[in-house]
Amino acid sequence: MFIHNFKYALKTLLKNKMLIFWTFAFPIILGTFFKMAFSNIEKNEKLDIIDIAIVNNSEFKENETFKKSFEKLSDENDDERVFNTKYVTEDEARKLLENEEISGYLIFNDTPKVIVTSSGINETVLKYVTEEILQSEELVKNVIEHKIKEQVKNGTIEFNSFDVFIENLQKEALEMLKDDNVNIENVSNKNLSYTMIEYYTLIAMACLYGGILGMVVINQNLPNMSNNGKRVAISPTSKGKVILSSVLASYITQLFGLFLLFIYTIFVLKVDYGNNLLYVILLALVGSLSGLSLGVFIASVFKTNENLKTGIVISITMFGCFLSGMMGVTMKYIVDKNIPILNKLNPASMITDGLYSLYYYDTLDRYYFNVVSLLVFSLILIGISIISLRRQKYDSI
Amino acid sequence: MTVFRTYLKVLKSCIVTVIMYTIILMVFGAFNMQTSDTSTNFVSSKPDVLIINSDDNNKITNNLISYIENNSNIIDIEKTQEKIDDALFYRDVNYIIYIPKNYSKHFLEGKNPKIEIKSTGDYQASLAEMMLTRYIKVANVYKDVVDTEEDLINKINDTLSKETEVEVTSKLDTAGLSKASFYYNFASYSMLAGCVYVICLILSSFKSEKIKKRTVISSMNYRKYNRDLFLSNSLFAIVLCVFYVLLSFILLGDIMFSLNGIMYILNLFIFTICALSIAFLIGNLVNNKNAINGIVNVIALGSSFLCGAFVPAQFLPDTVLKIAHILPTYYYINNNDIILKLETLSIENIKPIVINMLIMLMFTIVFVVITNIISKKKSKIG
Repeated sequence: MFIHNFKYALKTLLKNKMLIFWTFAFPIILGTFFKMAFSNIEKNEKLDIIDIAIVNNSEFKENETFKKSFEKLSDENDDERVFNTKYVTEDEARKLLENEEISGYLIFNDTPKVIVTSSGINETVLKYVTEEILQSEELVKNVIEHKIKEQVKNGTIEFNSFDVFIENLQKEALEMLKDDNVNIENVSNKNLSYTMIEYYTLIAMACLYGGILGMVVINQNLPNMSNNGKRVAISPTSKGKVILSSVLASYITQLFGLFLLFIYTIFVLKVDYGNNLLYVILLALVGSLSGLSLGVFIASVFKTNENLKTGIVISITMFGCFLSGMMGVTMKYIVDKNIPILNKLNPASMITDGLYSLYYYDTLDRYYFNVVSLLVFSLILIGISIISLRRQKYDSI
Repeated sequence: MTVFRTYLKVLKSCIVTVIMYTIILMVFGAFNMQTSDTSTNFVSSKPDVLIINSDDNNKITNNLISYIENNSNIIDIEKTQEKIDDALFYRDVNYIIYIPKNYSKHFLEGKNPKIEIKSTGDYQASLAEMMLTRYIKVANVYKDVVDTEEDLINKINDTLSKETEVEVTSKLDTAGLSKASFYYNFASYSMLAGCVYVICLILSSFKSEKIKKRTVISSMNYRKYNRDLFLSNSLFAIVLCVFYVLLSFILLGDIMFSLNGIMYILNLFIFTICALSIAFLIGNLVNNKNAINGIVNVIALGSSFLCGAFVPAQFLPDTVLKIAHILPTYYYINNNDIILKLETLSIENIKPIVINMLIMLMFTIVFVVITNIISKKKSKIG
């Protein structure tokens, strides 16, 4: 009986085109859209080479420090190139700025002045660099002044080789200003791609959408929902067996869909799930179970028509995904930071957070916390469903 | 009127979905409007920085902290390892500076102590790193030159306070306009989804076999019937368009009364006509009510993602944008982006906008023609 019913439940599910669209195809389509829209975002957030212009008037030409500094910063062969600099007249610079070919330009009248169209990151960098050169100039001046004073005080100054002395000081000071002397170490995790969260919410959505499958099979076994249910109700078989085999069929269907989604996201969309695939599989199994239990719960507890039940599953799923960052990754962080309890109760967020902790953290504490939360969530819902499903009797339908 | 009355009846049953799309628009419209900065003076971009200080409270360290503080937004979060790492991942902070124990002591001893940092690697983080390196460089140089700590700090601050003059030439309120642009970009999704969903559902109700048979044998002229149905649908689309425009006045305020505002409205109107024709086409192709939801989602989400309604077009990969050229939404969004930078009204400035509008209208005509060919083939029922 078990196998017989299992087989037919599986067949009914796989032949329902709408169901298969929403649980199998829709997450894949949405994932493709995500890939198209988000693949370039993080690349764009890196500091690019900035197009600027410098007004090539006589004052600039006389200023060795600035000339040399910008030459170095705009050197095409330098890895740390910051600018793409054009040397032009003032009119040309203004025109370039108007046509948005440059972020801003630099003009010298006594002091350097930066001209831009609006505030922004490129503009700020230009301002910073100009300032830094000014400050270096001052720094070198101060250091030389100090050294001369010291020498005068000690009486060791030699006026014959004064030029050489100054030149050496200048070289010394510039040497000190090199980046190599700054001892900074970057200890951040390499896995920092926050758009991954979008794909993780997608997995969460697929897991929970799978609940619709569970809901459909329960409906088919409920006498007040379908003719099939009436037929099942009067048959002399164990209802437990029928329900269990149907639910198992929907769980397997759901896992198959999820498997396709994982294959697609890993090989086509190049989503990074961290290094340990076994943990990901465990999370997927538990996540699907939570989706299944949600579907079974809604089907058995709410006494309403099938459309409304589907609506409830979809609304809960979408709202959960919204809170866990599907429509904007920041949302998850805002909720985690301000109302953490909300995401601790939200299965979509547990799944997303589980995947996130596998990707970003080295330790597994947070991952296990999410897995256990999902199990508890599922067990509670299944428990309630069992209570409401057993010993049902109808005087009339 | 019979057709129109029936139309309203069916509309009532699916208005919830339209309201939902509108709420989504409002939520995201408002979500994006929090940061308001309409200043026309130059404002340096400030990275979000977190400083974890393990050193004692002394002058050298404090001076470094206050320099960073003055040039960045210091983020205040719970300082547990997990919260800090989360904040970095979700870009709540761009740059984290760990000042080690005994930093100032080792610094003064000339040991050049190591500072650990965590960085998101984006441009804000690069800016923060520029700041930190600059400070350390200056401090390193002066350290050998001065005698007292006090002197050192004064010298450092003196040098670092040298600023460059910045002049801002454009007086356009880009902050307000980019909000408007975002709202109208997003509106393309709500508009397309709302129109296609409602019109498909209504057309399929009118086309269900029994209703259609009843209509065909009635005395009503089929031309009048078609015309009424068309007018009702157009009315719905236009009401939706006007509603979104009114909503934009409420959400965006003054900016909508400018030339740019008018252009946004005109652009949305043209797009509405195009959305209407798309809705008609799909409504004629699809007869299965259950399939409508899926089709609406794929079409509306697809064209919104591809054309830059959600993610600004400048962030999209070139190949995606090339594909997007075959969709009318692309031209609508492109227009919004042009309007964002429109400062004065001149033929030269308006030309690209008009061209885009014409392309949208061409799409409309093509859709209408295809619809007619299909509906003619389908007009016979067995």
